[in-house]
Amino acid sequence: MKNFLLKLLLTLLCAFFLAGSTLAGEVNLSIAASLREVIDDLSATFSKQNPGVNFLKNYGASGTLAKQIENGAPGDIFISANLEWMDYLKSKNMMDADRIRTFAYNTLVFAGSTAKQVATMQDLIKLEKIAIGSPKSVPAGEYAMEAIKKAGIERQLEKKLVMAKDVRECLMYAERGEVDGGFVYRTDALQARQAKILFTVPQDLYPRVTYPMGLTLAGAKNKEAEAFYKYLQSADAAAVLEKYGFGLK
Amino acid sequence: MFSLALTDYDAISLSAKVAVTATLASLPVGFAVAYVVTYLKFRGKVLLEVVINLPLTLPPVVVGYFLLVLLGKKGWLGPLLESVGIRLIFTWKAAVVASAVVGFPLLVRSIRIGMESIEAQLIQASRTLGAPWYDTLFTVILPLSIRGIVAGSSLMFARSLGEFGATIIVAGNIPGVTQTIPLAIYEYVSSPTSETMAVSLCVVSVILSLVVLFLHEVIGRKLVRRA
Repeated sequence: MKNFLLKLLLTLLCAFFLAGSTLAGEVNLSIAASLREVIDDLSATFSKQNPGVNFLKNYGASGTLAKQIENGAPGDIFISANLEWMDYLKSKNMMDADRIRTFAYNTLVFAGSTAKQVATMQDLIKLEKIAIGSPKSVPAGEYAMEAIKKAGIERQLEKKLVMAKDVRECLMYAERGEVDGGFVYRTDALQARQAKILFTVPQDLYPRVTYPMGLTLAGAKNKEAEAFYKYLQSADAAAVLEKYGFGLK
Repeated sequence: MFSLALTDYDAISLSAKVAVTATLASLPVGFAVAYVVTYLKFRGKVLLEVVINLPLTLPPVVVGYFLLVLLGKKGWLGPLLESVGIRLIFTWKAAVVASAVVGFPLLVRSIRIGMESIEAQLIQASRTLGAPWYDTLFTVILPLSIRGIVAGSSLMFARSLGEFGATIIVAGNIPGVTQTIPLAIYEYVSSPTSETMAVSLCVVSVILSLVVLFLHEVIGRKLVRRA
């Protein structure tokens, strides 16, 4: 009996350890949160065309994702919502630098469900609570913070900013109505059900929202990851991006 | 290497403010509940005990979510509170509520243990001498359960300092308003470039915990000596 239990325990332990290792056909994606629907769409299509490929998707704030990859988290393809975090990983020699491309573009909007009249950046001073991605790790928050600083309202908004861990949490705050509104991407606002776009942030206040994509050094050795990376640059992928409202040029 | 930003000082003072307020506000309620659970017998008492201990075993995020459902704009009590002008979500008061709810079982538990250790004869003696229940409560039970009250308060205070899950859901991460130490550390740790700032705050957090626990031991000992 004791012998049997010991064998059973060892078998279970082996199963646990083997389940964690990367099997062939697995592609680890670390993707900016705002690209969730696009990548779900594209990976589903790719899986149908290439059976046997299994995607492990990790959506989050680009800064947090960069940190995870830097600390050894499995990642084959990394798509960031701004250049900063891609450059960060490049400087740490974790990316296949020659293969980095631009995946898409986007614009920043202010969306909410408040009844108050909000049409410009200056109107934000009237609001009580504004959701924004944490500028330390969320690109949407970094863009928004730049726009706030350039519009000269940083001090007035000081205690009104509710920090979100990624742009989707920001959208959720705006949807729920506990804040007056939040800085999200146009593509996120198009997905919203309760919150609507109150105004588009003037482009001269922040740098253009650019999504660089790249293969990590591990990803460059992964055949399926390479294939998917090429697929992301195809016309099919461009069509899906357009469908969800992303810019291509 | 050890440097604190201005927002860090905000976080520290906010953590202290929330913890003190939560503990002081919960004390009378916790004492009353502990009294009821220790000395009164009624049907369904087990249910009350289970409900009181629930925040202890529930994941704090679940507690936070329930509070949001209860107190949010579209929640059960939300519209009622709003009609009286009380807005709790995403304010420091919500952080106090979150800490109070999460620490409440710890407070009640400690006071209960203090009360249960009071010799029943002392209470009976007080009764036979003609004292009504409230007289017994304030002149016999309260002084003799001080050790439990102090233990419970310091446990609750320490728990409040470390409260994260419920706080981030119901009070949000608003620097200068609701960003307590754990929330500030979380924000630093999520970013690759701010990790050293996290270390400084962690050190502060450890020092605060050590001070609270040290005082808890010292005061507890002093009270026992007096008794």
